[in-house]
Amino acid sequence: MDIKDIKAIYKFLRETDIVEFELEGENGKIRLKRGNASVIREVTPVVEFADSAAQPPREVKKEEAEKAKPENIKIVTSPMVGTFYRSPSPEAAAFVEMGSIVKSGQTMCIIEAMKLMNEVESEFNGKVVSILVENGQPVEYGEPLFHIEVSK
Amino acid sequence: MQQKEAAEVEIIKLLKAARSGFISGQSISNGLGISRTAIWKHIKNLREMGYSIEASPSKGYRLADIAKAHFNEIEVSYNLSTEFVGRKIYFYPEIDSTNIKAFELGRSAAPEGTVIIADTQAKGKGRIGRKWESPAGVNLYTSVILRPDIPPQSAHNLTFVSAVAVAEAISLYSPVRPVVKWPNDILLDSKKVAGILMEMDSEIDRVHFVIAGIGVNLNMTEAMLPDFLRPIATSVCEKKGGAVNRAEFAGCLYASIEKWYKIYLDQGFTPVLDEWKRYFGSEGKRVRVVSFTNTFEGICMGVDSDGALLVKNSKGVVERVISGDVETLR
Repeated sequence: MDIKDIKAIYKFLRETDIVEFELEGENGKIRLKRGNASVIREVTPVVEFADSAAQPPREVKKEEAEKAKPENIKIVTSPMVGTFYRSPSPEAAAFVEMGSIVKSGQTMCIIEAMKLMNEVESEFNGKVVSILVENGQPVEYGEPLFHIEVSK
Repeated sequence: MQQKEAAEVEIIKLLKAARSGFISGQSISNGLGISRTAIWKHIKNLREMGYSIEASPSKGYRLADIAKAHFNEIEVSYNLSTEFVGRKIYFYPEIDSTNIKAFELGRSAAPEGTVIIADTQAKGKGRIGRKWESPAGVNLYTSVILRPDIPPQSAHNLTFVSAVAVAEAISLYSPVRPVVKWPNDILLDSKKVAGILMEMDSEIDRVHFVIAGIGVNLNMTEAMLPDFLRPIATSVCEKKGGAVNRAEFAGCLYASIEKWYKIYLDQGFTPVLDEWKRYFGSEGKRVRVVSFTNTFEGICMGVDSDGALLVKNSKGVVERVISGDVETLR
């Protein structure tokens, strides 16, 4: 568990109405608590590590996050290891922005690995409420890329 | 290939087999099992496609311009030896991009092996929005739709399948051995002769289809190249010293694609990567890696079992590269 993971969890929590979040893995435990549910900037992280050198597996975080998230927030994940691109070319506009309304089947981003370009599509109709990866950054298989608040 | 076109391919086959001699309408009719009126309609279509077919009431039909290198779906079909790659052809005199069309067709359930060919592309797609120079009348621009039953996280293996296939097809025509620049640019004497753009449509756990978009500079002369490409691009004819029949080349290319795709599906990635290594030109050489976030130089240590490039940086650490452009330095 490093600062990047904590930031990712924080980012996720900000999009939800969860006020407290606890995650326990083999190698450590983390608890995030929001002081005031209506002031989402306020976060008091409490981090305890059994073994600070060991990294808890990412999957644990994801599973827990899946359990914790409200039903109307859906996650678009990466189908493969690669590089994340938000637009079809450096000059072009991004496929989606924060707040974009997307339809199922709409291209959200491109993941590239070894010159194979994978257009990742949304499986949901809804609104983009968080973009979890920066343009040009490497992503892992199954890594969350976007949160979509599904239409009711 | 539709029924109508299939008959036209058969007629061209018969006419070519007769060399420039006449073949009677009756024997074509018998051979194809269609009426002489139907044959007349097909002959008319073929003439509209540019074939010079003479008709004589007593002797039948003859192909007068047998030596002319036509380039159309009939000629490509005539040169096919495959089971499925190229068995359905969408041919366009002009198109925006064969990959854009392939995506549309892929989404509308076009069968595996469907190919799109264009004589010229208005917006030939290179990687990351770059343009692929696509003048008319000289080169091959084609996209192949594949529907492999593999997980998306293995699909980048097909980058190597297509690279090996394109290199193999070029090697049949070029006196200079093609060299692969990681992972899938094909070079002749250090200049680019072919580029491949791989695109995929998938779900998290299932590949819908993969498109191999392939551009091969066949008969483009150096004089036809824009100034900025002249130092870095070449064509097969520049090395061969003569024109390449594009339809025949397409037939060879589709045969190589099918061959290596089947090897990949049947035997896995190792034999494909082993073949790829035989064309790879950067091992042991100094390379510069340019990615979105990072540029560094180092010594190329080859590739790992997944095809990722291994580059030893200035600190002696071997970095594993899966994205980015790699230039071999002199």
